[in-house]
Amino acid sequence: MPVVNKELCTGCWSCIPYCPVSALKKNKDETRACIDQDICTKCNVCIRNKVCPFEAIEEQPYDDFQSEFQHVMSDPTVTVAGTDDPGRGTEEMKTNDVTGRFKKNEFGICIDMGRPGIGCKLREAEKVAMAVVKAGVKLERPEKTPLAKIMTDLKTGKLRDDLLDANVLSIIIEGKCSIENIADVLKALKKAEKQIDTVFCLGIVARVDEKGDTPLYNTLKKLNIPKPFRGKVNVGLGRPLVED
Amino acid sequence: MTHSLHRFGSIESQKNDFVWLMHQAKGINDKNIKDKALQFIAIAEKAGSENWGDIKTGNKLNHDIEEIKNKVTDKSRLRGVFTKRKQIVEFLKELKEEDLGMSVVISGLLDEVLIVCKESNVIPHTINFSLGVWGKKELLPEENVLAITSMCGHHMIASNIVKEKIKEVKNGTKSPEDAAYELAILCPCGIFNQVRAAEILKG
Repeated sequence: MPVVNKELCTGCWSCIPYCPVSALKKNKDETRACIDQDICTKCNVCIRNKVCPFEAIEEQPYDDFQSEFQHVMSDPTVTVAGTDDPGRGTEEMKTNDVTGRFKKNEFGICIDMGRPGIGCKLREAEKVAMAVVKAGVKLERPEKTPLAKIMTDLKTGKLRDDLLDANVLSIIIEGKCSIENIADVLKALKKAEKQIDTVFCLGIVARVDEKGDTPLYNTLKKLNIPKPFRGKVNVGLGRPLVED
Repeated sequence: MTHSLHRFGSIESQKNDFVWLMHQAKGINDKNIKDKALQFIAIAEKAGSENWGDIKTGNKLNHDIEEIKNKVTDKSRLRGVFTKRKQIVEFLKELKEEDLGMSVVISGLLDEVLIVCKESNVIPHTINFSLGVWGKKELLPEENVLAITSMCGHHMIASNIVKEKIKEVKNGTKSPEDAAYELAILCPCGIFNQVRAAEILKG
C-alpha cells in the first residue's frame, strides 16, 4: 500500500492534489505529507504516476485481505482472479452479443457505488445491495462480479462484517430482474439513495430493438424518472452471435 | 464495468465524445486474440482515434504505440475515444467489413450513437442506459470539474488536480491543450478525451 517515506518527503505538497479521495494530506505539524489509511482506497494513482518529485511515496506489501481487496477494487490496472477483468470491472453487457447474459425478458442492474469520484465505504454498498434484493434483484455470482466474493449471502446482499468500514473508489452491485420487477427496484433505489453517505451511478441494461427502443422507457415515464440520454451500446459485432 | 457510461457536462460538449471498447468474452472468444486486436487497433488508428490504450500497459499519449501493441495479450482491454461522428462511422463500417468477431461497444449520447449505428449499418444489440447520479449529490464537484474527471471513469483523475489545471489555464501559465494532456496521461486505459477536456478548460 502507498506510504510516505518521511526521510525523503520535503513537504513540497505537490503530491496532494493528485489523490482522488484526498487521503494525501499535510501531517499534524505541517512538515511532511502523510496518507490517511482510513480514507486511502489503495488506487495507487500516487505511485503509478510518480507524483512525488522526490520519490517519497513508496509501495509497501499488502498484509491483510481488506487492504488487498481495496487495492484490487480501486486500481483498474489489476486483474481480479476469477472474473479475469481488470479492477472492479466485469464483462457486464459488453459481450452480451455472444454470452446472452441479459435476455429479452429481463433487465440488468449496474449500481456503481461511489462513482463518480467520491468513493464509498462497503457498508454503503451493503445498504443498497440489500434494498434491491428485497425489491426482486437477483445478484450476480462471484465468478462474474467481484462484490459477490465478499457477500456472505447472495440472497440478501449481506457483506462480510469485517470489511464494512473499508473504503473503495467504487464497487459495482450487479444483478438482474424481470421486466415486471423493474419499477419496484427503481422505487427501492429512490428510498436507498436517501440513506447513504455517498453517491452511486445507475445503469440499466436492456436488450433493444434495432432502433434502440426498450420497454424500460415506459417504466421510467411512470416513475417520473427522466429518459436517459447517455448509453453504452453493444453493436452486435461479436461472434458467434448468441441465439435468442 | 461501466467506466465509459456515466460522463457529465453539457450536452453540446458530449456530442463530440464517443468511447469505443473492444471486449473478448471469457471462455468463448478470448484465446489467441492478438492478431485480431492488432487489426482492431489499426482500424481505430486509421479512423483517427485521438486516444486509445490497453489498461494493462497504458494509453498512447504517454506510451509508444508499438510498445502497447507488443504487449497485447489475451487479458488486454483495448479502449479509446473518437471526437467526430464521421470517424466512428468509418470505424464501425470497417470493423463490420473485417468481421473480427470481438464484441464492440460505443458509449456516448444515445441520439448520436444510434445515428452512428444506422449510418454504419450495424444493429444495436444491448444498451446499458445511464440513469445518472443518485444519492448525496452535494458531495460532487462543480459541473465543469466533473465533466473532466468523469472522462476517466475509473476516477484516476482527482477533482483537485483538475482545479489546479483550470487555474493554470486561467492565469495563462499553461495552454488548455497542455493541461488536458497532463490530465489525460493519468487515465491508463485511454478513454479520456483530451480534445474535449481542452475545450472545457478554455471555459
